[in-house]
Amino acid sequence: MATEQSMTVKAPWSAPSLPPTVLWFGVVALAWAALAHFQRETVAILWQWMPHLAAGLRMNVLISALAIAIGTLLGAIVGALELSHRRWVGAPARGYVQVFRNTPVLVLIFFTTYVFPFEIRLGSLYLAFPDWIKATLGLALPASAHVAEIFRGAILSITSAQWDASASLGFGRSQTLRWVILPQCVKRVLPPWMNLYAMITMSTTLASLVGVTELLESAKNASNTVNRTDFTVLIYLAVLTLFFLYCYPITRFTTRLERKYAFH
Amino acid sequence: MPPAHQPPERPPLVELRQVHLSFGSNHVLKGIDLNVRKGDAVSIIGPSGSGKSTILRCINGLLTPERGEVVVGDTPVHALRTEAERIALRKRIGFVFQQYNLFPHLTVLENIVLAPVRILGVARETAEREARELLAKVRLADKIDAYPGQLSGGQQQRVAIARALAMHPELVLFDEVTSALDPETVGEVLSVIRQLVEDGMTCLLVTHEMRFAEEVSHEIVFTDGGEIVERGTPRDIFHAPRSPRTHAFINGLRN
Amino acid sequence: MPESWLRAFIAAGRTVGLNYAFLLDARERASWLRGIALTAELSVLTILCSLLVGIALAGLLTSGRPWLARPARAFVELMRNTPTLVQIYCAFFVLNMLLNQLVGGAQNNPLTAYAWAVIVLSTHYGAYHAEALRAGIEAVPRAMRESAISLGFSRRELLAHVELPLAFRFALPSLFNNFVDVVKSTTLASAIAVGEVTYASLMIWVERDNVLEMMILIFLVYGVLTLLVSRLGILLENRLRMPGYGH
Repeated sequence: MATEQSMTVKAPWSAPSLPPTVLWFGVVALAWAALAHFQRETVAILWQWMPHLAAGLRMNVLISALAIAIGTLLGAIVGALELSHRRWVGAPARGYVQVFRNTPVLVLIFFTTYVFPFEIRLGSLYLAFPDWIKATLGLALPASAHVAEIFRGAILSITSAQWDASASLGFGRSQTLRWVILPQCVKRVLPPWMNLYAMITMSTTLASLVGVTELLESAKNASNTVNRTDFTVLIYLAVLTLFFLYCYPITRFTTRLERKYAFH
Repeated sequence: MPPAHQPPERPPLVELRQVHLSFGSNHVLKGIDLNVRKGDAVSIIGPSGSGKSTILRCINGLLTPERGEVVVGDTPVHALRTEAERIALRKRIGFVFQQYNLFPHLTVLENIVLAPVRILGVARETAEREARELLAKVRLADKIDAYPGQLSGGQQQRVAIARALAMHPELVLFDEVTSALDPETVGEVLSVIRQLVEDGMTCLLVTHEMRFAEEVSHEIVFTDGGEIVERGTPRDIFHAPRSPRTHAFINGLRN
Repeated sequence: MPESWLRAFIAAGRTVGLNYAFLLDARERASWLRGIALTAELSVLTILCSLLVGIALAGLLTSGRPWLARPARAFVELMRNTPTLVQIYCAFFVLNMLLNQLVGGAQNNPLTAYAWAVIVLSTHYGAYHAEALRAGIEAVPRAMRESAISLGFSRRELLAHVELPLAFRFALPSLFNNFVDVVKSTTLASAIAVGEVTYASLMIWVERDNVLEMMILIFLVYGVLTLLVSRLGILLENRLRMPGYGH
């Protein structure tokens, strides 16, 4: 081997790629050390609170899944409208995206929670409109704006030559979209869409600020009820770890997908 | 015509003795012997992948050979251990790249004065005055405030030569400097190099421009497969090669 | 602003059913305007601090020394994969509590909720900046390094005159996207009772029950602030454009 002395050859500026196993090992070791540090009793209290925390976490998962579903449907529509050649269709759609992308998510959650009614009247039927659903809508609005941008970017990234080629084969505009463009878009859309899901999941904690009992709120309740220093430390660390364990694999997988698709 | 050969007792400025280098299992240099006397222009020719550019990178310490000696002036390059020693060496050696490698965020003038001002500590006015002279010499005085991206390949390469000369090097290494150029801009770069050789600058060139190499060099070195197959005057190499491999290479080019 | 204009504005609001009467109450108006000022201040301060954190982390990430790069990488991943609000709580309810015990009572603790907001948001977005800068540094062509080294640049000079200026240009669009996110994230400080504009508005709508009215104002405040930041980004991009390079 050449003795790689110079900076050019050694390339010390290339990213240190951290094998995931090393990171996982580190996390587990840290958690282990932290747990060992706490008294048995504290850990036992945490164990008692587990069902409460688990219920909270279920709420985060439920809200995030619902929000991404609504956001994707709404975003697909808005994205399609954005691409419309009619100005009175395209401009409002772009305005929608601008407003909901540039407003803080927390403000949107306040908006849907306090401006929307408690219940919806359908004829003589009153449907309850609970806070957690309002918070979900508050998350779905910015999500739809982001999804619209993701879709629009993906569709625009496919060259006009493909539209021309399809047109010359007798495809109409919507047929071209359905059979030629969209299948190619899926690859480009998937990584940013998954990133968005991770972002939404992390934003579900904001629902605690409008009184939804999700994981962070449950932890806060537990911490206030037990009122012990070591328990407070432990429970917030537990929340941090739980979110990390949920979101890190998603972003890790996203990065892998991005690398994979970058070569196609 | 190159100036007549000066007496051979002049000591070599660059000397390579039995230089070996490999990248992994790829043995790139297999015992290279080479010397360049002060004021000479030496061209290294040979098929692609024969280790020509690697030789240049061993001379300015971008690469360090596994075995053998590289000496520039009094400096044993193979024995340099610290970055500071290598920096001191590189200040004395100009290097011109195939891809020009100008700094895209700086104007032509800034590209040329950056190293003299920052590395050598030359006063800014002095450096700028010299830069103007050098630009006039490479016939680009009017491009002084342009950015590299606004210039043609040939113009960028001439700026790169001016940038190397601004360090007052004892020696300039040219690494296939016309290979990336459009055919119509090759001539302007070659004429700048020709001028340099006539001014007595020591030059070591890796090139595919055979006619130019024949015309401008004092000595031609033919490499193939990591070895030096043959060396001699341009007349010998191009018209009376001794080795059949040289012969085949030269003839291959002609046809 | 002259009082007569305010009255005209409030009357106009009333005709379309919007209640902006709070603007006539000197105390409420002052606390709301202070909220806007705090949001702007918090945004600027956090952008600057997060950039410093980002540069430091990017330096570690690209140092080529595993014992520096790996902890930095782990920190960046932790910051990017946990909710900002959880980080704020971990800082304010855990670290701040421990600090209180360390210095013997909250009255001796120099760190306010405002300070914690700056610290947490800066480290959170610093991690994002670090990724943008790292990508920028890696986008610097290797040949550019080789040519700078051949001119006798030391590693430090190479970084200062070639790598960082180029990396900064490559990273600029991502950085300004992050800055817009920083502005938006300052709302989270309301969760620990920092009186920025969201919190100040909340205090008003709790009393006056005029949520929609306050929401419209909040949309406008963030709209203007994020627009300013992204305009500044475009301005800087144009200033630093390398003519003829890229597109």
